Amino acid sequence: MASPDAGAAPGTPKSEFLQSVRDTLGRSAGPPPERYHRLEESLADLEQRAAELRSHLRENQGQLLDRFADMAAKGGWNVYRSPGVEDAVGYIETLARRLNVQRAVRSGQPVFDGIPVDAAFSNNGATITTMVHGDTATRESLREEVRQAGLGLTGADYALAETGSIVILPRRGLSRLVSLVPPVHVALVRPEELLESLDDLFLLRRLEYYRNGREMGSYLNFITGPSRTADIEMTIVQGVHGPKEVHLVLLG
Amino acid sequence: MPPIKTDEFFSASAAAMGNPQLRRALDRVGSGFDVARRNAIDEVTTEVWEEWREEARQIKVHTLDHLDYYLELLHDNVTAAGGQVHYAKDAGEANQIVSHLAKSRGVKVATKSKSMVSEELELNPVLESVGVDVYETDLGEYIIQLAGETPSHLVAPALHKSKEDVAELFARKLGVPYQEDIEEMAAVARTTLRDKFMEADLGISGANFVVAETGTLVIITNEGNGRLCTSAPRMHIGITGMEKVIPSMQDLATFLRILPRSATGQRISSYVSMVTGPRRQDDEDGPEEFHLVLVDNGRSRLLGDPKLREALYCIRCGACLNICPVYQRVGGHAYGWVYPGPIGAVVSPVMVGLKESKDLPQASSLCGACREACPIKINIPRMLLELRHRTAESPDPQERASSRSERFLARNFTRLMSSPSLLAFASRAGRLVHRLACIVPFSPLVTEGGWTRKARLPLLSRWTRARDLPPPARRSFRDVWRDGLGQDDHGQP
Repeated sequence: MASPDAGAAPGTPKSEFLQSVRDTLGRSAGPPPERYHRLEESLADLEQRAAELRSHLRENQGQLLDRFADMAAKGGWNVYRSPGVEDAVGYIETLARRLNVQRAVRSGQPVFDGIPVDAAFSNNGATITTMVHGDTATRESLREEVRQAGLGLTGADYALAETGSIVILPRRGLSRLVSLVPPVHVALVRPEELLESLDDLFLLRRLEYYRNGREMGSYLNFITGPSRTADIEMTIVQGVHGPKEVHLVLLG
Repeated sequence: MPPIKTDEFFSASAAAMGNPQLRRALDRVGSGFDVARRNAIDEVTTEVWEEWREEARQIKVHTLDHLDYYLELLHDNVTAAGGQVHYAKDAGEANQIVSHLAKSRGVKVATKSKSMVSEELELNPVLESVGVDVYETDLGEYIIQLAGETPSHLVAPALHKSKEDVAELFARKLGVPYQEDIEEMAAVARTTLRDKFMEADLGISGANFVVAETGTLVIITNEGNGRLCTSAPRMHIGITGMEKVIPSMQDLATFLRILPRSATGQRISSYVSMVTGPRRQDDEDGPEEFHLVLVDNGRSRLLGDPKLREALYCIRCGACLNICPVYQRVGGHAYGWVYPGPIGAVVSPVMVGLKESKDLPQASSLCGACREACPIKINIPRMLLELRHRTAESPDPQERASSRSERFLARNFTRLMSSPSLLAFASRAGRLVHRLACIVPFSPLVTEGGWTRKARLPLLSRWTRARDLPPPARRSFRDVWRDGLGQDDHGQP
């Protein structure tokens, strides 16, 4: 194998690779003669479908909340349906005390503006750090903080009744690591985040994508229950790389 | 590419069948994965399941028929999101791309989440040769990396290992006390690999799907290692076969419904992660660089072969392995290359060459269970028959699965069966030979009851090694027919 010229990136040039695929298929360049229907939808089509979806979700919210709670429990979440904000904080405080959490981390999502979760930890004499960076130096120290944390707390961007999943879009204010690195994850879900199905989620993500000038954001994560493995003798073990215990506090 | 041992199928499968530990492990596949899959389908009803299968298949048919177009769209959208796309026509190029990126960025430690394509490329030794420490992080992959072995199942790579094997391996390689508690062993892996995740400069992942519309890479995992690999290091390289592209993000709804159910019987796996480019300026964390390596490495040969193209629709769920009566007895390693089971028996002959893999298409009873289990309705039995046809008819003698003597026998059998007088003569001769053989003591043709068990016959021995050759009937059917069976009660024909 000859070593590549200095500076030249190894691999086959795009045009050559695609031409070879084209030749293999006996096709000429260009889109399929019969266009793929999903890629033909206009922004207006997506807007209209999203409007219909939202009214459907409003009308069926009660029923969808029940279904979501049921599916989330089946998916491995410890589900707590909280009648009010104080109950939610009380649940988290009791949990932190039971687990003897000394240090916790949370995201900086807007959901926490109305819910004084920090008190749930300070009442126990524990510390909680909000994972929002100011500069590169704090990025590094936050990374160390999340490793030391016994519990991570986040909100959700969406919740899916079909699968019992929460969906998060990591970005400014929502670290990828808060829901992943600590051994316990607590997610707060509000009724307005609820969707019925996977189809709903992808419709709304596509709508956002086209609205924002084809910007999807760097990351999207479905979380359904705890981390698990069955790689040794097909015996299920929880918490291999991610959290072993996950709680879902459903407001409303 | 890893060593190709597809030409050792017969000896490897014979050895596998004599291994009681492997038998126990393979029993768990049927009772675990396949039962879970069936329950998951029952829950949504067969009717709904069939709709999903059809939808998934139609998406794959359309995409592969216009693959160049969707790769181009994917390229544009990965690039627009700030990522880079690389193209590798073979394993050598793919490994060069990754090691070049690693070297030029001064990478010392890389963590990998499970990727069958990287097994196919045998990437790890190449990275190690440029000074990178590579850690597999999926628990099953980590176990076989420590053991210096290869995966034996698409979804559960260390299936063939017992908990005692793993306990011994961890004690020897990681210096931890020997103990067989599975939960404790998972905790050892968590602790050991946690440091590597935080140290790593590079995270490598495969892809279950890549979405052309948005330039998004999708990985589905249960452990969380995929999330860590794509979140913690400063560079992420996704490596995948070029057939993994799908047109629209909306298509994912169907694939996310069928893949976990077919693989493990889960409604959805613990984590589905979707990566679109590197982290944005303001994000809290995530890699600064994102690279996508699209690999051909023999896939063009499947794509250009109308009779075998549908093998590229495979989403690597493993359902066809879990249900296959051959896989359940011989396990994954007997297949001799990265992709085992019924789909491997189609893919390997094309990717590594028919000459080396001519026995694999024979490793099937053609019962059709794989086709029924496949969420994309891939017609695996038809393709196995097609490959058998090619091994029979190939002008290259090295590609032929049958020996010269087998072909001689088949040719003469055809001649015999197409001539009534020749057949009548041969059956009379056969009966005579059998009667004479019964008189000879210790005759190789006859054992108790007059049945010719596993007769050691010249030419026929490979056939009769595993099958009984029944003795000829005392009278032929034609004789019986002529002497009255063919007449009704009134003596009329």
